Amino acid sequence: MNVTVFGATGVVGRALVPLLAAHELTAVSRTAREEPGARWVAADVAEGDGVAAALEGADAVYYLVHSLGARDFEQQDRAAAERVAREAAKAGVRQIVYLGGLGADDPDASPHLRSRRETGERLASTDVPVTIMRAAMIVGKGSAAFETILALVKRLPVMVTPSWVSTPTQPIALDDVARYLAGICGNEAAYGRGFDAGGPEVMTYRQMIERIAALLGRKPAIVEVPVLTPYLSSLWLNLVTPVSASVARPLVEGLRNPTIAREERIRRLLPLELTPFDEAVRQALA
Amino acid sequence: MAVMGRNEQKSPLSRSIDSDVGLPWVDGGGDVIGWEASERVRECGSFESRQRVLVAEPVVEASEAGARTLGVTYWQAVDRFTRGGVRASWTGGGGKLKLLGAATLLVFGPPELSFDGGLVSCRHSIEGGLLALRASGSVTLAQRPEGDQQELSVTVEGYLPRLAARADAPPWTGLLYAKGQSPFHAAVSRRYFGLLLRSPDS
Repeated sequence: MNVTVFGATGVVGRALVPLLAAHELTAVSRTAREEPGARWVAADVAEGDGVAAALEGADAVYYLVHSLGARDFEQQDRAAAERVAREAAKAGVRQIVYLGGLGADDPDASPHLRSRRETGERLASTDVPVTIMRAAMIVGKGSAAFETILALVKRLPVMVTPSWVSTPTQPIALDDVARYLAGICGNEAAYGRGFDAGGPEVMTYRQMIERIAALLGRKPAIVEVPVLTPYLSSLWLNLVTPVSASVARPLVEGLRNPTIAREERIRRLLPLELTPFDEAVRQALA
Repeated sequence: MAVMGRNEQKSPLSRSIDSDVGLPWVDGGGDVIGWEASERVRECGSFESRQRVLVAEPVVEASEAGARTLGVTYWQAVDRFTRGGVRASWTGGGGKLKLLGAATLLVFGPPELSFDGGLVSCRHSIEGGLLALRASGSVTLAQRPEGDQQELSVTVEGYLPRLAARADAPPWTGLLYAKGQSPFHAAVSRRYFGLLLRSPDS
């Protein structure tokens, strides 16, 4: 199959590309590059430059890009998804695979999660079948949400946290996300369907912080306060973590929504052995 | 409907609530057959309450994820209904329902998930808290087939509410339960059904 990956240089894209080695691969990034294993194409989904060229001859397309951090990220993501969907239909693509977010279908979802859902809807606005895989926090090096938690654990002996630390989530290892994504490529049973890809354990963010801290040999005190707005939280994260406030705020807002798998269809379709949380953290720290 | 069994005594607080009243915010699909709520006091003094709706199709799948979704959605309903004033806080050993992040209203055991045959359920034992006289009873969120429909239910069994009137005490001593906690619980259940029925898989 001819496969095009938008966002090939992102955290998930880098983990996915080696797993697609059996296919004729076109890797797309915003700047031109030359790396073995794929035909590299420069394209900008926000502006449209190079998108048609990247999709030429493609059978399947991975859409792994987002504008998180931009002031108008919701509008940008909608427009970019529409553009790629339109061009994919013109190019005769048979499947678009999109990585969305768990909890995004919640009617009260945060703007970030809502944007993930709308992106999926825009990608599905043509006749090209879309496969949506929804994941919670991805545990892997470079994952913004994971790096934020990690920085908090590493830097703060005492954490004053908002009530979102009690929200349940189902983090999944980066490698497992990549394997699921690779497994649904060209899989007709996955055409036009959505899948919840949860990790093997459900935990609250507080439990996650405590588990990561234990692996790092730390024991931070966690003080939960009922009132701490996402804005204040994002300023605080901007101060003590490498994540900028513009990225932290939508992420923090999203932490209010439970992000757990509602169904296990992906586990029946692709019965992979999932990486335990502690092992996923160890791999991310290596 | 409240049905008094042989081992139950009629209490001043025993009653059925809103039998067969539709849920106005989920009428759109026409799938909701009815809403029923009931409450009764057993001879031992423990309370049993049940709210349910009937729907045309399962709203969660029969799996661990489906059972867990019932529980998570219920605690989400508590949070939403109280605008974050009452939230569940979980550790590995169970959860606490806290008022404004401080006062522990109820303490629950960890979720016991079940998905056997058509029954999908999430049960939490009640292990204490300000609103419990002592550790006793459970709350169960369930989906089970009923004829060619599915029943969604919230069942509290064996619960000893601290705010309810004691045996032989004047009825007014239980007003806080009858006029506060009990309607609150029923309203949360309605919100819970609403959240489940608005979900994408329903």
